[in-house]
Amino acid sequence: MIYELCKLLIPLSDFFSFLRLVNYISFRAIMSALTAVIFIFLFSKPFILFVHRHCFLDQVRETGVHSAYDKSGTPTMGGVLIIGGVLISMAIWGNWHSPFLLCCLGGMLWFGLLGLWDDVSKVRMKSGDRGLSERTKLIMQGLFGLIFAWISVGPLAPLGSSLATKVYIPFYKYPLFDAGPLFYGLFILLFVVFVSNAVNITDGLDGLAITPSIFVVVVLGVFAYVEGNRIYSAYLYYPYLRGAGELTIFAAAFLGACLGFLWYNAYPAQIFMGDTGSLAIGGTMAVMSVLLKQEMLFPLLGGLFITEALTSQIQDKIGVRWIGRRIFFRAPLHHNLQHKGIAETKVVIRLWIMAGILALISLATLKLR
Amino acid sequence: MYIAVAAIGLAFVIVVALAASLRWRKLAAGENRVVLSGGGTGGHVNPALAIAEGIKAREPGTRFLYIGVRNKAESVIVRRTGYELRFVLSEGYPGLRPSLRTVRFLVKAGIGVAQSIVLLMVFAPRWIIATGGYVSAPVIAAALILKKLGIGHVRIFLHEQNSIPGQLNALMGKWVDKVLLTFPQTISFFPNGKVVGYPIRTSILPAPGDEARARLSFPIPPGRETVFIFGGSQGARTINRAVVDALHYLLPYRNRLFVIHGTGLASSAEYDAAADTQKRLERSLSPGERALLEGFYYRQDYFHNIADVYSASSLIVCRSGAGSLNEISRIGKPALLIPKANLPGDHQVMNARAMKSAGAADLLFEDTIREDGALLEKVDGKVLADKIVALLDNPARLAEMAEKSQHFLRRRAIERIVNELYDEKRFHDGNGSQPVPFKDLASNSRLLHVLSAAYNRMGQDFDPLAAIGDADDLAYYRHRAAGLLCYETWQDRNLGVKLIGLTRYRDKIPTLLEMLSDRTPVSRIKRLFGGDFEQVGFIRRNIVQALRVLDHFDGEVERHLMLALSDSYFEVRSEACRTIAHFGPCLAGSAAWMEALLKRLEDRCFEVVIEAAVALGEVGDAATARALLALNESHYWQVRNAALRGIRRLIDRGVIEPSTELLEGTSAFILTSTDFKPHFPIKETYTAIRNASRKRSGQPAGADSRTEKPVRKVQ
Repeated sequence: MIYELCKLLIPLSDFFSFLRLVNYISFRAIMSALTAVIFIFLFSKPFILFVHRHCFLDQVRETGVHSAYDKSGTPTMGGVLIIGGVLISMAIWGNWHSPFLLCCLGGMLWFGLLGLWDDVSKVRMKSGDRGLSERTKLIMQGLFGLIFAWISVGPLAPLGSSLATKVYIPFYKYPLFDAGPLFYGLFILLFVVFVSNAVNITDGLDGLAITPSIFVVVVLGVFAYVEGNRIYSAYLYYPYLRGAGELTIFAAAFLGACLGFLWYNAYPAQIFMGDTGSLAIGGTMAVMSVLLKQEMLFPLLGGLFITEALTSQIQDKIGVRWIGRRIFFRAPLHHNLQHKGIAETKVVIRLWIMAGILALISLATLKLR
Repeated sequence: MYIAVAAIGLAFVIVVALAASLRWRKLAAGENRVVLSGGGTGGHVNPALAIAEGIKAREPGTRFLYIGVRNKAESVIVRRTGYELRFVLSEGYPGLRPSLRTVRFLVKAGIGVAQSIVLLMVFAPRWIIATGGYVSAPVIAAALILKKLGIGHVRIFLHEQNSIPGQLNALMGKWVDKVLLTFPQTISFFPNGKVVGYPIRTSILPAPGDEARARLSFPIPPGRETVFIFGGSQGARTINRAVVDALHYLLPYRNRLFVIHGTGLASSAEYDAAADTQKRLERSLSPGERALLEGFYYRQDYFHNIADVYSASSLIVCRSGAGSLNEISRIGKPALLIPKANLPGDHQVMNARAMKSAGAADLLFEDTIREDGALLEKVDGKVLADKIVALLDNPARLAEMAEKSQHFLRRRAIERIVNELYDEKRFHDGNGSQPVPFKDLASNSRLLHVLSAAYNRMGQDFDPLAAIGDADDLAYYRHRAAGLLCYETWQDRNLGVKLIGLTRYRDKIPTLLEMLSDRTPVSRIKRLFGGDFEQVGFIRRNIVQALRVLDHFDGEVERHLMLALSDSYFEVRSEACRTIAHFGPCLAGSAAWMEALLKRLEDRCFEVVIEAAVALGEVGDAATARALLALNESHYWQVRNAALRGIRRLIDRGVIEPSTELLEGTSAFILTSTDFKPHFPIKETYTAIRNASRKRSGQPAGADSRTEKPVRKVQ
């Protein structure tokens, strides 16, 4: 809103020349982060109270374990706060015409609403196991993947058709090969579905999903800044993506929202993000990496999410369902660590450290190519 | 050109339809015309014929048309009554999963509907009375179509014999005019239902035993107690085979007994009752024994005068279909029921249970076994023979069962049905009816849930009988669980293992032990992903766990536990340690076990080390304390904790004395821990208040119920 207003006002008179500040990405990024965090600080308490009163509480999963330490009954759907913070911040500081921004917001909203549907139906059914069926979820995620894949490789591609289907890998300057629209589109579809579910699976302990998400989003924001800047991108041999800098502002808003949320979500949590939050964060991260041509970096950057998802799927689909034994002690990764006798808080911090190290290595690929 | 042909065709169809409609109205208004349909087994045919008898008694001029399926029970039974009989194509509903059978079903059903439409248009009935079985589905569908088109002026009645309706009946029942029910419980399935009971043919009447014997086509030597064994109109393989097997054990009583065996009409490629029984007889009885059968054993495929056979018998052994039960009740005879297992909703078990609880029957459950790669139900011949002899040896009980049998079911069903057909409100309801006790049988997964909750609550005081509440139900659940062990998919076998443990079915311990040590490998591809044997890791783990629940220890259990202790799957090893700890009192001080457990302290999996250390506390001696103290610097705090627990247990058992040496040893333990238990005072206070108030109001204390209520009013 402010960005759009300034754009209108600046040509009118020299009096408004100081408003040229909004042309600087760094300024808008900082402002949007602050806006998001302030929004969350303002609205968290009333939101938690609202959720509590309407009994949108975390439901018991039918694992047969009941203890005084189980977390059922904690208000959930905190993802609404995160999405709200980002939306407000983007409404104020965003460039509404940027296709990059619109793609990211679209992904966040789609997955957020899908997660909200799941959360609400879990509460309706009074069971943590009986939300949306796995199939419905996959179909809805796939549907977005399909649309987004078409946007990325089709005529609307924000990257331009020359770049859209090129495959870049980390630690290597030049595109490896051109995958062709069909193959690349299919890859995007699977990537989006996988990443959004990966975050969903990671979101199992207080604060576990949110901080690694901050690392990922911030690193992607830095990439967006570099690739959206003609000089830096030339210097670091990145393809110049006109307008990608808008994603830095988006990433900053996301950072602000996540920090604000972590305030309440840190152990012991007062609110969970729920599927609303985890799916939205996952969807957003997937869309951002694809738009910045960093989808091949994601296995490294979001290595924690990938590991969590893989351990969970291997244990469940191969071990428990098919060959009839456990392959890991427990799955996903964080439960395995807990099973080995590490307290929840310690597991969370250790995994933060791992995610931080992965983020640093990923950042190093900026130069190490 | 084409349009003209189409228009002429359409006009022709409309004219035919109009003519048919007018003709139908005229015919139906004249004499009474009724279509009967239902079949497959005698259980569906006989009620239709009984209803026909009721209508005939009221309106002797009624014309009947019976629509059935070729080569099924109706083609034999209905022929004898002289009603007009027509056949249509139909097939059993194969279920929702699409397959070739679905296609065949749809084709056959489509043809069947078309055939039925023609038959109905020609016959123009006033009523259609369907008694279920898959043949009635196309007839009802055809009638519904004709009614919707305004051609058919007919009322459709559906009679449901079972307490749990079949899929097609449940679907069709929504659209027919009225559903007539046998059991009051079934009314929840059909809003348009009316409980009338089971119509029994008027020929089924009790007669004095001597008169009945005189009317039979075969002689029964005087002074014999007669047992009539049959598996329904089609015959049941399980029962036929069991009878033949039982003959060997019944032969010693041949001066007291006479066995009448109804083998059934089945003569399909899958099962030919007469041939199979003959073959079995030749195989299982020696020629000398076979010679003795004369004057002791009589066999026939179907008895048209079944009432006489009933009346001549002292005991009836049969399946528990609604038809058989009602006939037996009408005659007033004691029964030994062998309900067919693995049916949807277990409805035969439900029927049998109802009759048993009325005191009119005894039950025998069949086992599920695997023979030549196929699943079969089986009743052991000796078990059957013993049960028959035991019942006959107790005439007082038989007499009491016979007495109660007479009062078992709702009487005057035909009158009630005729009353419904003529839409009269005259019938004074409530006479002679006795509500059937009804409690759902639990599905396997539900049973597992209930029993494991009870076990977790009560520990070793757990008693499956108390948790289930009925000895017969428990017996049935045990048979069902044992049947699961024969299944192809490991998930089913795994469920069976758990249920055998939780129902404390100790007879099956040898089977479990055999499975535990079975080393048949799985396919190569599964082994590539970490699979090992056909009895997968979970099954072996749960067997070891079940042994603990079964709480039975002998040499064989000990031998197999020792093998399990070095199993390739870590959970089996750790569960084995826990089971050893459970049987600690039997094993304490055994050198072999201590050696085996000490080896487990070096296991590469920390879970096993933990359980081994705890188990050593139960069975170890003074020397093991040293091994436990050596765990003082283990990486895992749980291992160190388990070692200390083991040592404490050794002290409690008086194996070692607290000493300065011990003090020194334990002081070398690393006491830091990476885990802790959080303590939320507010949750504890809240739980305390809730539990106190629940105790007052009689609700069970338990988990927080806040999440159970979806919407709480905002204060």
